[in-house]
Order: sequence, then C-alpha cells, then structure tokens
Amino acid sequence: MITCEEFFAEFADYLENQVSPEVRQELELHLAQCRACHVLYDSSRKTIKIVSESDSFELPQKVFDPIIDRVMSKLRTERS
Amino acid sequence: MPGMSEVGGWQQEFDPFTVLREGFGFVPNLLHAQAALPRAIAAHAKLEEALCFRDGALPRICKERILLSIAADRQDSYCTALTSAALASLGVPQAQIESLASNYRDAGLPDSDLALLKFCLKLSRNGSSICFEDTEVLRAHGFGNEAIIEAVVVTALAVYRCTLSVALAPEADCKPPLLRPKNVSAVPESTLTASVPKAHQKAERSGPFVPAPYLSSNEFEEFAIVQKSHGFIPNFFRAQTLRPDLLQAELYAVGSILMPEDLLTRAQKESILLAVSAANLNSYCVAVHCNMLRGLGLSAEEADQIAVDHRLSNLSSADMALLDFAVKLGPRFLEFSREDAAQLQTLGFTQQQILEGVAVTALNNFANTIQMGLGVEPDFEVPPVFEHRKMKLLDATPTLMPREGAVSLAETIQDADAELVAEVKGGNLEVFEELARRHTQLIYRALIAILGDVAEAQDAMQDTLLSAFKHIGGFEGRSKFSTWLVSIARNAALQRLRARRFTESLDSDDADEDRNFRPRQIAAWQENPEQCYSRSEIQRLVERGLLELPAKYRTVVMLRDVEHFSTEDVARQLRLSVPAVKTRLLRGRLMLREWLVPYMTRSSKGVA
Repeated sequence: MITCEEFFAEFADYLENQVSPEVRQELELHLAQCRACHVLYDSSRKTIKIVSESDSFELPQKVFDPIIDRVMSKLRTERS
Repeated sequence: MPGMSEVGGWQQEFDPFTVLREGFGFVPNLLHAQAALPRAIAAHAKLEEALCFRDGALPRICKERILLSIAADRQDSYCTALTSAALASLGVPQAQIESLASNYRDAGLPDSDLALLKFCLKLSRNGSSICFEDTEVLRAHGFGNEAIIEAVVVTALAVYRCTLSVALAPEADCKPPLLRPKNVSAVPESTLTASVPKAHQKAERSGPFVPAPYLSSNEFEEFAIVQKSHGFIPNFFRAQTLRPDLLQAELYAVGSILMPEDLLTRAQKESILLAVSAANLNSYCVAVHCNMLRGLGLSAEEADQIAVDHRLSNLSSADMALLDFAVKLGPRFLEFSREDAAQLQTLGFTQQQILEGVAVTALNNFANTIQMGLGVEPDFEVPPVFEHRKMKLLDATPTLMPREGAVSLAETIQDADAELVAEVKGGNLEVFEELARRHTQLIYRALIAILGDVAEAQDAMQDTLLSAFKHIGGFEGRSKFSTWLVSIARNAALQRLRARRFTESLDSDDADEDRNFRPRQIAAWQENPEQCYSRSEIQRLVERGLLELPAKYRTVVMLRDVEHFSTEDVARQLRLSVPAVKTRLLRGRLMLREWLVPYMTRSSKGVA
C-alpha cells in the first residue's frame, strides 16, 4: 500500500478528479485503510463544496448600480 | 569581434542541395526563396539534416509529427503542406496526417507521443511557461535527456521554418491539405502534469532542465571557435553538450548567418537579435545580446534602450525600420505583411540584406525557443531596466502583452462576449454597460481577492471599468474577454497595493513553503456540516476565512472555487503556470479547511 506521503503527493489532482484509474485505485485503497487521510479527504471535499456554493462576496445590485451609472456617465461625457 | 569565418569552422565542403534532395525528395520552395543568399540556404540545410532528416534519439517520423503539429498550430499553410508531404512519404495514412493538422489528440497515437506533442506545442506557443515538471512528464513517459533536447531543438526548427515562411511567403510545393478550422482547443493543458502518476512535486524549478556534461574544446573542436569568437562558451551551448551532433549544426548556422559582415553589419544583426529576443520576452538572450552590442562599442544605455523599446533609441531611421520589420516576425507574426519588406527596400536595403535580416530573425526565434525549452540560465546579469519592463509587460494591460494569444488561439470562437466586445470596439458605447454588468461580480471578486478589503475593492471597481473601456481597442480576442478583464482588474489592484507600499508579493514563489504545508486537524466532520447554518451564516464564515488567507492563495481559490473558472483559465488570468496554480489552490483550500474545522466537526454546533 502507498504511504500517507505518497497519498498527499497525489492529493491535489485527486480532489480535481485528475488522476488515472490506476492511481485512483491506489489512493482509494489507502483511504479505506487510513483514517487520518480519510478525514483529510472528506473534509477537504466538503470545504470545496461549501466554498463553491457560498456565493461569497456577492456584490449587491444596490452597490454596483451606482458604480456602473457613474462609469457610463463619465464615458458619455468624455465622448461628447 | 573576430568572425568565425576567419577560423574556418563553418566552411567545410557541403552541398546543401544534395542534402535537401535526399531528405525531402526535392528542394522545397522555402529554400529556393533564400536563393539570393546561398549561405542562408547552407545553414538551413545543415539544420534540416541534423535536426530533422537523421534518426536521432527520436525517429524522423516522430520529428515530422512535431513539425506538422506546430506548423498547423501556427496556421502556416506552407509548412503544414511541406510536413504533411513528408509524413505521407514516410507511409503515414492521410487520415492521421489530417488529424495531426487539426487536433493531434485524435490521431490515435500512444500516450507517450501525445505527451511529446503536447510539450512541443506548449514550447512553441508559450515557451516561457515551460518548467522543469514539463520535462519530468516526458521522462515519466520514457524519454531520455537526449530525446528531450532533440524535441526542444526540433520545436525550434519548426519555429525557424515558420518564421522564414511568414517572411518569404514561398509558393506551395505541393497541394496543401485541407486545414480544418480550429474550433477545438488543440491543447487542453490541464493534464500536462496531472496525468502522470508520482510526477515530481517540484513546481517551477529553475533550469537547466537537462544535465550538461562538461565538454572540452579538445573533444569538440567547435567549442574552440566559440571560445575564440565569444571569449567564453555561453550556457546556451553548454546546455546541449549531450548532443554534440545537434550543436555542430547549430554552430554551423550561427557561423553562416551571424558572422559574415558583407551585407548587414554585426551591430545591425546583434540589434535584431536583441530587439526580437526582447519582444519574445527572453531574458537570457536579451542579456547575451546587450553584452554583445556593448562589445561592439555601443554604450550600455543604448543597448538597454533597444531591449526596452528600440523605437526610443538613437538608431538611424533605416536601422529602426529594420528592427520594426524583424520584431514583426516575433510573437506577433500573424500580423506580418509582405509590404513590410517593400518598405525596407525604399529605405535602401538590398534584397540580400533583407533576406539576411529574415534569416537572422529566424535564427533568433530558433535560439529563443531552445533557451526556453532547456531552461538555460543567463551568462550575464539581465539588464535591470529590461527585467523591470518585462515585469511591467507581464503585469500591464493585455494591450501591451505580446503573448496575449500565446495560450490558445481557439478560445475566440467560444467566447460568449465576442459580439458585444465587437460592438463596443465598433464605437457603440452603450453596449459597454451590458458587458460591464455581465462581469461585475467577477471584477469585484478579483479585486477583493488581491486587495483583501471589501471597501477598497468597491472603490477600485470604477477605475477598473474605466481602464477596461480605455484599453478595449487593444483586446484582440485571442483570449477570453473574461481572462482579459481579470488582468485589467489585477493591474488596478496591484497599482493600489503599490500605492500603499504593500509588501506581500502576489508573485512570490515560496514553493517549498507551499509544498511543505501539511494539514493538522484530523477530527472528523459532520455528514452535511453546512446544514447546521443558514446560507448567510455560511457565506459570512467563508468570507471571513477567505480574508484570512494570504492574497496569493485567496486569488487562486476565489477564481477557481467561487468564480468556478478552470485551473487553466486561472493560470491564464494570473499569468501563472498551471503547476503553480495547482500548488496554491491546494494550499489555499487546506488553509480554509483548517479555518472551518471548529465549525464543522461532530462536536461543534452552530457557533458562527
């Protein structure tokens, strides 16, 4: 079986679903047997899901409307 | 500087036409087009013989595949036809040739050949992004160092041929195959390092990428000539000592094209080499040729000025035009037109001199490619003003980016913004509002990611939009509009950082620190931890976590995970290599994970 070190070397690609089937098999075998790596994988996957669905730093329309208005009126003035 | 001709190193008996007829089966028009300058033909034939015709560490058929893929990728119909004919004569079926010319991945080649083509295309398109990992991928596929050098040099030969073909526009030798319009991105670079199990994790290791055993002038007599002409053996040549056969041909070409002084002067040639290397953003070659020009009596300031912007130097108007001409054969070769040569004639350059200028430029692009492919380390200090300028160019608005299109020519077609952009460029100001609204979130997030401050990001929105409008004329649609916008936002943000004398670098590459980062907390998380919190609680928690991250990780995580761009897109937006993005992404995600642990484990409950 591969070591935790070897698991971690492939970890970034594994999270991105970018490992070959053979490597995947090795990694999953390791995950089934190593609790620490399993927790790491499980929580990282959940982190990505949470961040991806968080809509962080959404700029409310009431903030960006005036910004766009200012930009457009400035550009119109420059043109005329 | 003494010419090599005096030493006689390159004047061996050699009949280029016999060599060409044996190698190609005929003398291609690309060579006939150089008829006014027999030594350019001899140099070219020598390169073809050593780099292409001979089976070296790579068999000829493999090299022809590289030459074809690059010719097609550069939309060079002459070279595409030439290499297609060569492959046909080697017995390759027409269908495979056409696949190679449209999308090499469909050509039914084994993985190792695909990896090789991917490497060579990357080198030809965007050589400065080649890193040690890329060569490791080749090693993992069974290519030895000799083969890697050969792949790099064959790629350089493809670039050499294409430069000549753009400049000389030879008649086709044979009926060109149908070049399919490229609506598929030929090189998704995503798997470049990813697909290889246990690839070394050494992101962005500096060169040289292949070992270079010591080779003395006694063992390799050409080095004695170089020693005499240059006063030392440049690293460029040393980096290839595993392949003296290739070196010999390269030195022959250098001797035939650069050393004689009967047409263009040495100073004119060195200026071309310097200006085109600078346009290619090749620091190594800029350092060499600045040094050469100083040796020829130019002041350091004058040489630096040519590297930074030759149009502002004190050159005569004729020399200036010569450099303008040559630079157009650099990264923006698609814009070259035959009228540029006619222009030179009106300024008094002869046909032969123009041809020599073309040959010098082709040789320069050839050398720049090899340097990047092998990661050759500079012999001299790179002029700081050039490095500064280069950083600015890499940072600055894409209007100044010579390599805007280097990553993918194919994306144009898939850009949903293309129509609106065209309207704005056509003068329809009002349409800009729609474009701005489409991308407000992206711009805002890019700004926050770099600035790490909500209020300041909102402040910077206006500048960014105005700057985007101001520069939109220079956006050529060679990258996605969104990619371009992120770089505009990035510039606006960086300007603010500089203004507040910000010290944390976005570009610092503390790769070791990145790699050695290891997660600490190993308490298990709940099944669906996010369900313990409301949407707005989760959003606030993640935002706080993101603001805790150092900017360089935050930028990558926000573009990838919040804005959902692909890793490759993020690499283009931030002008980082794909491996660098991957390293930062993992580190950023793991840091966020640590931040979230107290809220997500089985013992924690709703404490955001």
